[in-house]
Amino acid sequence: MYFRLIRQDIVRSKAISLITTLFVAASALLVSLAAILIVHLTGSLDALMTEAKAPHYMQMHAGDLDVARLEAFAARNHNIEALQVVPFLNIDGARISIGEHTLADSVQDNGLSVQNGQFDFLLDLDGKVVAPSDGELYVPVSYMKPYQLEIGDQAYIGGRPFVVAGFLRDAAMNSSLAGSKRFLVSDRDFEALKPLGNMEYLIEFRLKDPSRLGELEQAYLAAGLEMNGPTVTHALFRLMNAISDGLMIGVLLLVSLLVVAIAFMCIRFTLLAKLEDDYREIGVMKAIGLRLSDIKKIYLAKYAAIAAVGAALGYALSFAFQGMLLRNIRLFMGGGEHAALATAAGAFGILLVFASITTYVNRVLNRCRKISAVEALRFGTSPDTAGGSRWFTLSGNRWLSANILLGVKDVFSRRKLYATMLAVLVLSTFILIVPQNLYHTISSRNFIGHMGIGNYDLRIQVPGSVDQVADKVAGIAETLGDDPAVSRMAVLVTKAFTAITKDGTEQNIKVELGDHKIFPIAYVTGQAPARNDDIALSSILADELGASVGDALTLLVAGGEKVMTVTGIYSDITNGGKTAKATFPTDAKDMLWTVICVKLAEPSLVEVRVREYAGKFAYAKISDIDEFVAQTFGSTIASVQTASRVAIVVAVALAVLVTLLFMKMLVAKDRYPIAVMKAFGYTHADIEVQYLSRTLLVLIIGMALGTLLANTLGELLAGMVIASFGAAAFHFSVDPMSAYVFSPILMTGSVLLAAWAGISGAGRIRISDNIKE
Amino acid sequence: MKKLVTGERIVKSYGKGAERRVVLDGVSVDIHEGEFVAVMGPSGSGKSTLLHALSGMDTIDEGKVIFGGRELTSASEKELAEIRRTQMGFVFQQPTMLRNLNLLDNIILPALRDHRKHGTDLVARARMLMKRAGISELEQRDITQVSGGQLQRAGICRALMNRPRIVFGDEPTGALNSRASQEIMSLFAEVNAEGTAVMLVTHDARVAAWAERVLFMRDGRIVSELALSRRDGTGMEARVEQVARKMIELNV
Repeated sequence: MYFRLIRQDIVRSKAISLITTLFVAASALLVSLAAILIVHLTGSLDALMTEAKAPHYMQMHAGDLDVARLEAFAARNHNIEALQVVPFLNIDGARISIGEHTLADSVQDNGLSVQNGQFDFLLDLDGKVVAPSDGELYVPVSYMKPYQLEIGDQAYIGGRPFVVAGFLRDAAMNSSLAGSKRFLVSDRDFEALKPLGNMEYLIEFRLKDPSRLGELEQAYLAAGLEMNGPTVTHALFRLMNAISDGLMIGVLLLVSLLVVAIAFMCIRFTLLAKLEDDYREIGVMKAIGLRLSDIKKIYLAKYAAIAAVGAALGYALSFAFQGMLLRNIRLFMGGGEHAALATAAGAFGILLVFASITTYVNRVLNRCRKISAVEALRFGTSPDTAGGSRWFTLSGNRWLSANILLGVKDVFSRRKLYATMLAVLVLSTFILIVPQNLYHTISSRNFIGHMGIGNYDLRIQVPGSVDQVADKVAGIAETLGDDPAVSRMAVLVTKAFTAITKDGTEQNIKVELGDHKIFPIAYVTGQAPARNDDIALSSILADELGASVGDALTLLVAGGEKVMTVTGIYSDITNGGKTAKATFPTDAKDMLWTVICVKLAEPSLVEVRVREYAGKFAYAKISDIDEFVAQTFGSTIASVQTASRVAIVVAVALAVLVTLLFMKMLVAKDRYPIAVMKAFGYTHADIEVQYLSRTLLVLIIGMALGTLLANTLGELLAGMVIASFGAAAFHFSVDPMSAYVFSPILMTGSVLLAAWAGISGAGRIRISDNIKE
Repeated sequence: MKKLVTGERIVKSYGKGAERRVVLDGVSVDIHEGEFVAVMGPSGSGKSTLLHALSGMDTIDEGKVIFGGRELTSASEKELAEIRRTQMGFVFQQPTMLRNLNLLDNIILPALRDHRKHGTDLVARARMLMKRAGISELEQRDITQVSGGQLQRAGICRALMNRPRIVFGDEPTGALNSRASQEIMSLFAEVNAEGTAVMLVTHDARVAAWAERVLFMRDGRIVSELALSRRDGTGMEARVEQVARKMIELNV
């Protein structure tokens, strides 16, 4: 009997049943994917941590080191299984080039290591512990894709040639959150390159009982051993390795939550409409003594069927999609053998979806409990659906046309019903506008000031590796000085210095030296350095050093300590966002690069001068500033642009689908009032206008709320994203045409079209079928 | 008297093939301007279907329906809606009110669509009709807050909003007790006295007795017709008896 009832009911509402099934399938797909990912992530991560024998405790240290004292400490402490002091040769990114790229703009501390003897092994992509021959270089796997590297690529470190022999999985430093990246070279190459960088050490411990890590930390601290650098534990390694895929899993779960919510909305809507239709029948069933659970079963059967089909479909699809999402885990951590467990986890995920849907349907069906047999038989309609807003009556309104009036009235009198649709439209508007505003903001010319770049036209960069660089820079400056088209220029030399912070830790920072008042940039707080012992820091660097305006900061300059005062903090996206600016005089020795900024009297000459100077100074990189921004920030801008385009599609699709569905359900629910209207001479076109005005009213409120949210909460969220690139003090610069004209038109057009398609079924509603005597 | 509605050999059936059930089997009927007609017959005799066919609410398989000189069978959905709106009024057995509108708003609903074109003050007209029906004090009530008889009186007010040429009533007293149904019928009689034609479908001899002509249906055909004298407010008992005797005679 159930099968027949289900089939009948589904055939009667094909479109709605189909869409509901699809939503269930989509949420099952996402939940199942998330479950599969969780299994693979934990499995692969465990495998990597085990095979690489990741240290349980690691203390980074920059400076001199007393190995004998450490060994004595290890011998005293019975929980320590092994101690290892690993040298890490920190080399400035500008001195490392691989393929066609240098790592000058890398945010990471890059350095060389040799393969370890006891634990903390660096693995290749096959999971093997590799030992490079002379001239071979193993590159961190996280650089493989962004720099499009391949095995066999030519690499140079400080001018010494290498061949890329493979890529490294590094259990300790795989993640971009780790802050450092290890390149693996042979012992001999390592020795040869020693003068090029700063030696740091990783003091690593393996424990017999890792659960008693806390005791070791205490003991290490109490012994007053070397600790000039961050401390990392086994748990933190795991967390850092898991976080990017973990975030993806989180996003999947969030989206699936949204989809489940929409599926719930569909179910609630159709089910309530059906219950209202069957009000009298339910009363009869109660009157003849059927139990509540029997009555519920009849309705539950249909949704159990829909949930089962949808969940099975989603489960099948999740196997088709999993390869794509597992690619990253497989590359960074290796593919473990977890297929069986993953299949089970996916199955558990879809069971969860199935269970939550049936539970939800069961809860909605509890309304049957409230139906009194007597009332249902006497009145035939549920008493609590009547009523409306008292302050908005047809008779009291004289300026709206009848159909618009009826549409608006309906929205106000059934606010709860329209709330779900409103929520989806608010969300769609938000998704539509925020990425668009973000893209417009970061691609606008005004934003350059937030990026640590002054308002100039030309940028001439001379690398420090050029022969007799000081003379060449002087030559360029002289040529520019004689050019009548040049109105202003500034010569800024960048050098690396060691900074000592308040708590005594040392860090390499890049300082741009010169006159920073010629082309001022935007400061978040404070101002540009003016005196010899002033220094300004980028916001990311200031955070990292824990420095704020007015603090002292010690730099090691020419062998001596120089105490500087922080005068300002600025936003910067160049060089990974970690830069500093100072004015003290310096020489050309050990210079990383020099930038000459030029403002032309006539901006139209930019192109001509770029070509002219490029011919004249072949050793320098000459670019107009727009091009420079495109190069440094271009990939970020491009991906935000892509994201904003995807967001437009997602937002419109979501709005269209939900509107279509909602209207179909509404028409099915409103068969009776539509028939009444028709009986009293309202045409199909009139009914259409009524439903379109309802949609439009909800849409206008939704867009207004969505836009408001986008400019408050959205700006806050976008500001957080932007701050991670290095630009603080963020405000949307909105393109009014796009945000307030085109987006609303696009949204209105597509939603009205969807509504119009959704209500086409109203034309088939026959008066005589629905006004039953 | 001038013909208002003419049905010629109307055939209407439901279902297909072996399950096909003929509900109207070649019915021909005329209703004149200002006439009061009642249609009687057992359940399933086709009386409601006849009303739906004559008012253009439902399509027919064969035959013709002409209303005020215009053929409904070939009219578009828009034309039909316009005729229903401007020239017909409807009263159903159930009140068929919209739940989210109050009583006054429900009454003005059929007139609301065109009221600016005509420039009529529809609220004033609705209040006048409600006053006549004795429900003026209920205008701001929700439809669940009034009795069935009051709702049906409101239904008549709604049917009269656009000054129709005919009011169709499909068992308008079917859900009411006898006192409330007599009150409704005297309201119909008043409307008819002002020149509006009335066509009622009913089971009840005491309702049919208010009409001047009673049609008896069985198995999709009109099997007999009874002409009653023009009503003068007296002799109701005798008219009811006349109708009842005919019902027994025809076994309907």
